[in-house]
Amino acid sequence: MPGNTFPGRLGTNNPFGITGSGENEQGGAGGISRVVEEDENDTIASPTTPNFNGAFGGTFGGDGTEGPPSSYKGTSGEGFPAHYGMGRRTSVSAESLNPTASSNDSWTPPFHPKTPDQVARLKKSISGNFLFSHLDDEQSSQVLGAMVEKPIPAKGIKVITQGDQGDFFYVVEKGSFDVYVNSSGTLQPGASGLGDKVATIEPGGSFGELALMYNSPRAATVVSAEPGCTLWALDRITFRRILMDSTFQRRRLYESFLEEVPLLSTLTRYERSKIADALEMQKYPAGTTIIKEGDAGEAFYLLESGEAEAYKAGTEHPVKHYTKGDYFGELALLNDAPRAASVISKTEVKVATLGKDGFQRLLGPVESIMRRTKYETSPETAPIGP
Amino acid sequence: MLGGDIKKMAATLLHHHRSTPAGTPAVDPDVVEQEKKFVAAFSDQTHVLPPDEIQQDPRNKELGGKSRGLSVRDFELVRTLGTGTFARVWLVRLASPPEEEDRDKVFALKVLRKAEIIKLKQVDHVNQERQVLADVAGHPFITTLITTFSDHDSLYMLLDYCPGGEVFSYLRRAKRFDENTARFYAAEIVLVLEFLHEREGVAYRDLKPENLLLDAEGHIKLVDFGFAKRLGNSKATFSLLRKFRRPKSVRGGLSVFGIDDAALIDHDIDHDKGETYTLCGTPEYLAPEVIQSKGHTTAVDWWALGILIYEFLTGYPPFWSASPIEIYKQIVSKPVSFPSEPAISPEAKDIIRQFCTVDRSRRLGNISGRAQRVKEHPFFRGIQWDDVYYRRCRGPIIPPIRFKGDAQCFDIYPDEKLGRDLYTDDLRAKWEDKFKDF
Repeated sequence: MPGNTFPGRLGTNNPFGITGSGENEQGGAGGISRVVEEDENDTIASPTTPNFNGAFGGTFGGDGTEGPPSSYKGTSGEGFPAHYGMGRRTSVSAESLNPTASSNDSWTPPFHPKTPDQVARLKKSISGNFLFSHLDDEQSSQVLGAMVEKPIPAKGIKVITQGDQGDFFYVVEKGSFDVYVNSSGTLQPGASGLGDKVATIEPGGSFGELALMYNSPRAATVVSAEPGCTLWALDRITFRRILMDSTFQRRRLYESFLEEVPLLSTLTRYERSKIADALEMQKYPAGTTIIKEGDAGEAFYLLESGEAEAYKAGTEHPVKHYTKGDYFGELALLNDAPRAASVISKTEVKVATLGKDGFQRLLGPVESIMRRTKYETSPETAPIGP
Repeated sequence: MLGGDIKKMAATLLHHHRSTPAGTPAVDPDVVEQEKKFVAAFSDQTHVLPPDEIQQDPRNKELGGKSRGLSVRDFELVRTLGTGTFARVWLVRLASPPEEEDRDKVFALKVLRKAEIIKLKQVDHVNQERQVLADVAGHPFITTLITTFSDHDSLYMLLDYCPGGEVFSYLRRAKRFDENTARFYAAEIVLVLEFLHEREGVAYRDLKPENLLLDAEGHIKLVDFGFAKRLGNSKATFSLLRKFRRPKSVRGGLSVFGIDDAALIDHDIDHDKGETYTLCGTPEYLAPEVIQSKGHTTAVDWWALGILIYEFLTGYPPFWSASPIEIYKQIVSKPVSFPSEPAISPEAKDIIRQFCTVDRSRRLGNISGRAQRVKEHPFFRGIQWDDVYYRRCRGPIIPPIRFKGDAQCFDIYPDEKLGRDLYTDDLRAKWEDKFKDF
């Protein structure tokens, strides 16, 4: 596992000791005495009544009598959240990854088979987690597939150790685990080195999720509380690559679809990428009426997968057939005319859609974009007008 | 005691670098002298150029080039101005200036240790920082990269010295800013973001009070471009290629190498997409799309500006907790709420809410009109944007600077720890090529 050691904010290896956790004597000076020693009472100057100058005019400490700002002693005083750490905040960073599609790698996510029961349990475990709740079905199934079983045979095994760098997220499949926090920030040697027990994690519970974002020191030690435990483990690189690759591919797909839409041919590359960013993916089962003849048109659609057909009232056969990469409903961007046909999914379909309001928020009035060149509808390319 | 330690530190550092690695070609003393003259001639107090002309200006084209002869031995390290996770910034002056009057000229020297950069997997970020800073040299509210050089262990970036210290320090000391003060800084940042996003196609990605310095007149300088990234989609993509294809030269006809053509072309192809995926920033300031790995764009900087204005006005950010995970949960799920004290104007609340909008197709700054729309927001009513850009108004805080090179506005930092990772021959064999732009 590539080990990024970029210190997170709970960093025990952060040489400047900023923990951001309610320590008041911070100010970034790490306990070194300051050049200018000031009377403590003087360091919080007037600005709680903050009209110290007019519009851009006045001075603040301009004559130097208030001393340089470096003499500030951080205290979270009244009117401030009691535990807000006032120190400098450390930047965090994950390792930079390049999307597989752009770097000629042939990376596919690892797949570890699971029983339907196991998958269902895992799904339930992560369903409420903010790092997973927004994943689409494919991302979700790739992530679940990549989780690897980790047996913890004995009691008392440390799965993660407070202060160590973290690369894995864990879900408890079987058994239970105790969570200990040592107030020093790291596991200490000796019998009481674990610190205080703060929680027990039962099957379905999870821990270590920060490791899915970036490498940072573990905030607690987690120890198996009984023999014969089982965990599911997921590492950051795998997790981030799954999300990145699928997002990257979808973005490029949308951009290339958008290039094919004559109505949008005058968009710049930047504008297309804006629209691609805002498109929302929707899935419909076969036989769904996606747009209905006569309805007011509000959104346009790109067909991402599957097939769909257009029907007009009074005709028995479809008037148009859509496959991957086709689009429909785009005239809704231009006017409020009712849909000229219905579009019904023939198979299960995935569409990317954006409403006229969203389009206009991002790019301004459609009319002005159209005015760049006249939008010609030739019989071949003419959408039937839904 | 402290001063003594720092001198000792500096002496150690200097001593360390005195040993020239075997195989390094001898440097022409004339080159060094010429480059020292170039450095000494740098003055930040020139007139402000309009954004259109920043890249065209001959002086700015010279700035940010790779030095051929300078080394850390040519500078006297005065004291530390700041520390990052793998870098330390020193206040420096020329050790033996070309002219006596150059003796009191001071600069900021950012020292990045190669072994740490590699260990923290920040090689790409360091190269991006170097390139973006060279591209934007000359903007009134961005720190100026004068030149870069390197030695066996470290990379060096010589920057203008910004004596006012961090806005962070003033904010914590004042507890909070009034709306005029917040507006003054926010307005300057809007112009920086407009320039970076719309002219350069660059996302900054680490906006926070810690990264805003004040110059002697109380204007903002944005520093630390460690996470800045070119995303393409800019007016500058092509002009930039042209810029770098010409070798950079300093006054007196001395050639200073620009960035390798091939490297730049690769770079541009790679970054020609409008979004990026690396999670980076500062927890309280991360946009929801960064936390959820949805691919992010320049829109993250507008989110962060909303957080920044909130922190200016209240003294703390809207989403905070001792645990980063708790911060992230709040960011993705909770709307910004305002305390009853201090009272915040409806315009300020509105601009904060419009910046801190999870849906990027509704986020101010990212929607149609981009920065222009931001400038037209009622929070900025009455602002003469030209006056802001040309620095015609006095800053609300004038730093108490007693003499050139006064660093009293900066905190004192502890010495570097000993026993740092070594840049071994193995590391060198694998990575040295990645540092060739320095």
